[in-house]
Amino acid sequence: MAAHSGEVGIAVVGTGSFAEEHLRAFAQIPETRVRWVIGHNLDRARAVATLAPGARVAASLEEALRDPEVVAVDVVTATPTHAALTIQAGQSGRHVHVEKPAALSLADLDAMIDATEGAGQSLLVGQTVRFQPAVSALGAASRGGEIGTPRLAHITWYTGHAWPGGWRAWQLDPTQSGGHPVHNGTHIIDAATWLLDDEPVEVFARGVRTFSPAMESPDSFHIQLRTRNGSLATLELCYALRSRGDILRRLVVVGTEGTLTHSTSHEDGLHSDATTAPPPSVEGALRIQLAHWLDVIHGTARPAVTTTQVRAALATALAAQRSLISGRRERVEDVPGYTPEPQIPTRGAAS
Amino acid sequence: MSTRLRTVLISGVRHAADYLRILADDDRVHLVGLIEEVGAPDWIRADSRAVAEAAGLHYSEVDDAAALASSLSGVDLAVVCSEPVRHARLAEATLGAGVDVLVDKPVATTLGDADRVLAAAQSNGCMCAVMNRTLAPATQRLRSWVGAGHVGLPRHLDLEFFASGAHFSTSVERPELVVDPALSGGGEILNFLGYSVDLAYAATGLDVVEVHAFADALFLEPHRLNTVEDTAVISLLLERDVTVSITLGRVPYAPGGTATTSSARLLGSHGHAIVSDDEPAVTRFGAQGATTLADDAGQVAARAYLHDVVTSVLGRTSPQYDITDARRTAVVIDAVYRAVRTGDVVRIS
Repeated sequence: MAAHSGEVGIAVVGTGSFAEEHLRAFAQIPETRVRWVIGHNLDRARAVATLAPGARVAASLEEALRDPEVVAVDVVTATPTHAALTIQAGQSGRHVHVEKPAALSLADLDAMIDATEGAGQSLLVGQTVRFQPAVSALGAASRGGEIGTPRLAHITWYTGHAWPGGWRAWQLDPTQSGGHPVHNGTHIIDAATWLLDDEPVEVFARGVRTFSPAMESPDSFHIQLRTRNGSLATLELCYALRSRGDILRRLVVVGTEGTLTHSTSHEDGLHSDATTAPPPSVEGALRIQLAHWLDVIHGTARPAVTTTQVRAALATALAAQRSLISGRRERVEDVPGYTPEPQIPTRGAAS
Repeated sequence: MSTRLRTVLISGVRHAADYLRILADDDRVHLVGLIEEVGAPDWIRADSRAVAEAAGLHYSEVDDAAALASSLSGVDLAVVCSEPVRHARLAEATLGAGVDVLVDKPVATTLGDADRVLAAAQSNGCMCAVMNRTLAPATQRLRSWVGAGHVGLPRHLDLEFFASGAHFSTSVERPELVVDPALSGGGEILNFLGYSVDLAYAATGLDVVEVHAFADALFLEPHRLNTVEDTAVISLLLERDVTVSITLGRVPYAPGGTATTSSARLLGSHGHAIVSDDEPAVTRFGAQGATTLADDAGQVAARAYLHDVVTSVLGRTSPQYDITDARRTAVVIDAVYRAVRTGDVVRIS
């Protein structure tokens, strides 16, 4: 992979609220300089760019890619645009960070990988959960052999309601989001794949609509899965807790020689009438994730989230969405474009 | 009926010591003996005799069901503590004798057997109580919270139940009573799933209409050798599209302060709730690290339920949980095993 030394010039594609979060995180990372903010609405792009003093705005990525100081592209847009933007950036020789879910199909993901890693650049997918301090510690213990061989995971991932855009939100449309197991489910599916160090082969999913029965994508669901080596998992996700900003994260990983747990319900909270701070087990994850991407670009770290793992998680999420619709158990191998990846287990690799 | 409840145990190989200890503390109960079948294997007869002797109870053996019925003359309550595969037959014989019965869980190892016990209770007009954990404080707390309307309508439950394999040799009288299908009738789904299904019903009042399950022997050699599951992840669909996920198992080290641990997270239309059998608890720090001091919820629930059963027999009322509830749960357990075998969802009519 072609490493880059010194300051990294970045083009951020996207002007939504999460793009703003990225810009705030970059502002805390030395040796980064956001040179461009890309968005179709230039007024909105200018407003967002105020978070990155000196950044210019453009309506298309093409303009930013003509800037030789742009070394890397951060794609923070709606999922349907991820593939084209990543491929465009990769083909121009840039490193790419793309928000999760990376793509809506394995074919798109493969094309993204070919255009980036295949050409010698990095592709890091924003599986932010991996970088949350408690999950990171739990993963290090699990993958470091502290509980023997992990065989069972139970992840509960509940969040205060987060449905921006009302009925206009693209996230509600499965054709644009991939469905909730793909859109947000990749968080917990990737975490399970990583913690169990194994590739899921069968899944079953069931959804619940607590917000509105008219939602095409259920706001809450659970997935149960079996991995290639026979490990099992229950994965719970809810984006409908009554209080906005509320969080309940609970992880249990059972191994042959021990059990690891973490729950945010055991953490002290910072609350006021105006707001609630994220628990310390969650706070700062995006900054850590983007700082890691810079290390990858500099050649001082291997990607903690490998594209092989991303591919396994996406295939599983797509199978879960199929299960949600069919109401039946689904095989991951039946997802179009699926091929087994024998190198998925990476115990001892960078984490 | 006598002033004090004349109570016998029928067999004493499973949970008998626990129940005897609790019953012996109840002034309303007069323990009069322990009866075993002469045709039972020698080790079962020896174990039952040892339990009786340890409790200072008269031990006797009977030849068959007819002899069992005649031996129950003057008895107010029989408590069946055999290995699970004999539960239903012994319960039927007791009910046939017109005697109220309390059966250890699971009430039966097949749905057909559960149906027969239910029919025997109904046709003889006797009480058939079945051991359960619905009176555990966490379950009662959740039920009350939902009942008060604090979460709106329940929409989903995330249930977890674990037992520590590290305690397997001490928490279970003999491991084969749980893992040998000739004695247990199945694995940990049969042994534990009823607790979670009962909790789901306690919290929602809704029946299960569809199940899906993955199960395997992931951890423990006795289960693997007997080809029964030690772990399962189960999805239930209840009436009104309410959903439940269940993660259960006998795992090497359960994440709690006692031999078993259970917790529930409920998502409602207008709020959520969390309860745990592990709380309240106190943490002690010492040379061995941190130790949790908490009541064993299973023991607390057993004590509360046995008190309820005795009250019900004396007052000729119905206990809070009986064969009708246990049969409802047996339907789900039966469906879950079929889901495991077929690898698909199973509808419950």
